[in-house]
Amino acid sequence: MVSAGAPAIAVDRLVVDRDGRRILDEVGFAVAPGEIMGLLGPNGAGKTTTLGVLATLLRPSGGAVRVAGHDAATDAKAVRAAIGRVPQDIALYPRLTGRENARFFARLRGVGAAAARRAAEDALASVDLLGRADDRVATYSGGMQRRLNLACGLLGSPPVLLLDEPTVGVDPQSLERIVATIRAQAANGAALLYSTHHMDEAEQLCDRVVLIDRGRVIATGTPRELVASAGVGLRVDVATQRPLRAEWLADLAGVRVLETGGPERAGRRVATVAIDSLELAPRVLERASAERANVLEFRVQRASLHDAFLALTGHASRD
Amino acid sequence: MRALPTIIAKDLKLLLRDRVALVFILIAPIVVICVAGFSLAAFYGADATGQTAYDLPVVDEDGGELAQKIEQQLAAQPSVHVRRVASRAEAERLVRDKLAGSALVIPAGTRDALASGEAARVLLYVDPVKYLERLNVRLEVLRARDELAAAERERVVAELEAQRGALRQQLEALDATLARGREQLAAAEQSARGERARAAAEVQAAFERAAARVRSDVARQVDEQLAALAARVDTDIAARAAAVAAPAREYLAALTDARAKFEAWFAELKRLADRRADQIPPPPEFPEPPPELTRALEEKPPPIALPPDLNIRIELPSPKLPSAGAEPPVDLERPSIEIPEPVIPGATLAVEEISVSGGAPTINTFDQNVPGFSVTFLLLGMLLGVSLGLLDERDWGTFDRVRALPVPASDILLGKLASRFAVGVVQMLVLFAVGYFLFGISLGPQPWALALPIAGIVFAGTAFGLIVAAGARTRDAVLPLGSIVIVTMAAIGGCWWPIDLEPRWMRTVALAFPTTWAMDAFNDLMIRRRGVEAAYWPTAVLFVYGFAYLGVGLVLFRRRMSR
Repeated sequence: MVSAGAPAIAVDRLVVDRDGRRILDEVGFAVAPGEIMGLLGPNGAGKTTTLGVLATLLRPSGGAVRVAGHDAATDAKAVRAAIGRVPQDIALYPRLTGRENARFFARLRGVGAAAARRAAEDALASVDLLGRADDRVATYSGGMQRRLNLACGLLGSPPVLLLDEPTVGVDPQSLERIVATIRAQAANGAALLYSTHHMDEAEQLCDRVVLIDRGRVIATGTPRELVASAGVGLRVDVATQRPLRAEWLADLAGVRVLETGGPERAGRRVATVAIDSLELAPRVLERASAERANVLEFRVQRASLHDAFLALTGHASRD
Repeated sequence: MRALPTIIAKDLKLLLRDRVALVFILIAPIVVICVAGFSLAAFYGADATGQTAYDLPVVDEDGGELAQKIEQQLAAQPSVHVRRVASRAEAERLVRDKLAGSALVIPAGTRDALASGEAARVLLYVDPVKYLERLNVRLEVLRARDELAAAERERVVAELEAQRGALRQQLEALDATLARGREQLAAAEQSARGERARAAAEVQAAFERAAARVRSDVARQVDEQLAALAARVDTDIAARAAAVAAPAREYLAALTDARAKFEAWFAELKRLADRRADQIPPPPEFPEPPPELTRALEEKPPPIALPPDLNIRIELPSPKLPSAGAEPPVDLERPSIEIPEPVIPGATLAVEEISVSGGAPTINTFDQNVPGFSVTFLLLGMLLGVSLGLLDERDWGTFDRVRALPVPASDILLGKLASRFAVGVVQMLVLFAVGYFLFGISLGPQPWALALPIAGIVFAGTAFGLIVAAGARTRDAVLPLGSIVIVTMAAIGGCWWPIDLEPRWMRTVALAFPTTWAMDAFNDLMIRRRGVEAAYWPTAVLFVYGFAYLGVGLVLFRRRMSR
């Protein structure tokens, strides 16, 4: 059990090297019981590696990791008993039913058959899957599989939950259910490390976030703190039919291009710009029009965690 | 270890719900066993169902009887199906057109040549490409030839024996007839002797009666004739005496006168001789007539008196009667006749195959194919079950998910291996049961002994699957890597054909494969019908291989996990 006041997860100067390449470079953060910590970063930033070390699946090259008070390097079994892991990819047996999957993983947590049945029922109920519990997982929709994937990580109410992008590709209904379930776990005192590259999702769900990029921690704090620290006030999205030149805002003060425009999607490209004040918005629109790129949409909104990430790293979180 | 049963149960559930895997481990081997068993039936010189017999066209130019016998002989062999064709040309065409691997021609005159003791030959048109078929057909034809020769020899020997028997019976009948003749002759002789004695007695009696009568008659007649004779003699004597008396008396008177004259002469003589009268010897004296004569002449002769007790003895010769033992002996003994031993025609040299283990010399092709392909598909099933099973777990993410639970990694592997071991054993038992009930394979004198090599090869196969799983980085690498090794092990190890077909060096190499030891044990138990002791050593070797594979697999797997 986690002693009072001690973090449920404590990562200190964590280093992971693989094949001569540094995957994690002195990563450090802590998660308190009942806290939802977002682990944010683009694909390849090191989020899954961090979760792998916490789940004792990967051996760290340096640093210290303690989970529920146990050293992950020396007391892996105790760490495993303390964590509930929801992997990024669906990790279920497709030929077993939802109930069979849940009971199987419950039994492997070391509980008896009756307790495993109860835990499975509770978990299935928490993700609203009791109605399909006896269907094979292969017949589930992607969202149902995500929910079951989450449920199998919650079995036995472990004090630490490691969630690796548990909402990838889910429908809004499933997302809502998953978020509710996660909040309920935190409310029950579990420490949650929630890895995602969906900034808005993290902004809504997480108490704090750790921004990680290329194996390094860029920033840690609440979403509001991070947005503020990034110095991004307003954000302008300009959708054009044709691409804008890279230097289309080169000599305009108080304006920074966060994204120059990604690949064409549905006949349009979106460039994201941070502006220091609302007065700069018309100037940006003028420049876009002058580029003869055929502006399709022009939107001004408050800066988000995503914008802060762009400002801090210089690239989008989904790169 | 508490998690082990849960993991095993999960893996069994996964397998039971994997239709592809079930088809692969049960249906596919049965299909392949059927295909291999039927298509290779003639390879082992036997055919369990008679469906795959070689088609053998037969041309009868000889006239029927010999061909019919050959056809009957070949028809008894399950691996050959005989059918008559009209001509030699048709037979050639069938072989040339690949419709038959061989064709048999019985030339005209074959039977006559054989009957007259001359050498004869039949022709076998062959397709050299169909080497095995040619060998098998030739073997069956030679077998038929030998059986025909043996049957013919038996017939001749039986006929000779019958003739000798008939001759022996005739001699016995002759002996019986002679014995009866001897008995009848003895009876006749005895009867003749009786008759002869009776006749002799009758003759004797008749003779005696006749002799008495003759004697009486003769005596009477003699008496009468003697009396008459006496009378006549008396008369005659009297007459003769009367006739003699007168001269006699005259003679006596003359004689007395002569004497007086003589004495006067002699006295004159003496006077005349004067001085020499002294030298004259006195003259003989004239005898005086005897008084009896003088008296007889004076008296009448008395009559002849017959003796009153005249006993006339008449000796009659005895009648000549037949002698009892006078007949010459009749020779009714049969001269010694030796029945010569028959001249047995030369026997054919038969070859009797005796299985040193007591099993049948020929085997059911499925006795080889069922264990062989069961082992092959067992190993392939292990490849899929263990290697792909572990890769499935990796791909599904469940392997890492389970690893992140408070379960020893060894339990995960052991559970997987144990479930696959159980499935492998069940797979082998099911395939052997199918082989037994569908194809009548032999389970040997101790069917339960098959459990030993089954357990051994399943264990070795399971552990081998772990090596492949640890060595193959991707799913795509498992099948090429695993199947090449398994197919090689199965083929060289004698799973697909008898290992004795392989060259010596390959058989030596095969000892490095568990398949070789498994098949050796199965062949010993099922075909050679040996006891359980024959499976001890191969099973021990299989478990040694299994533990070695397990050790290597665990090392590789651990190294893989530590990366």
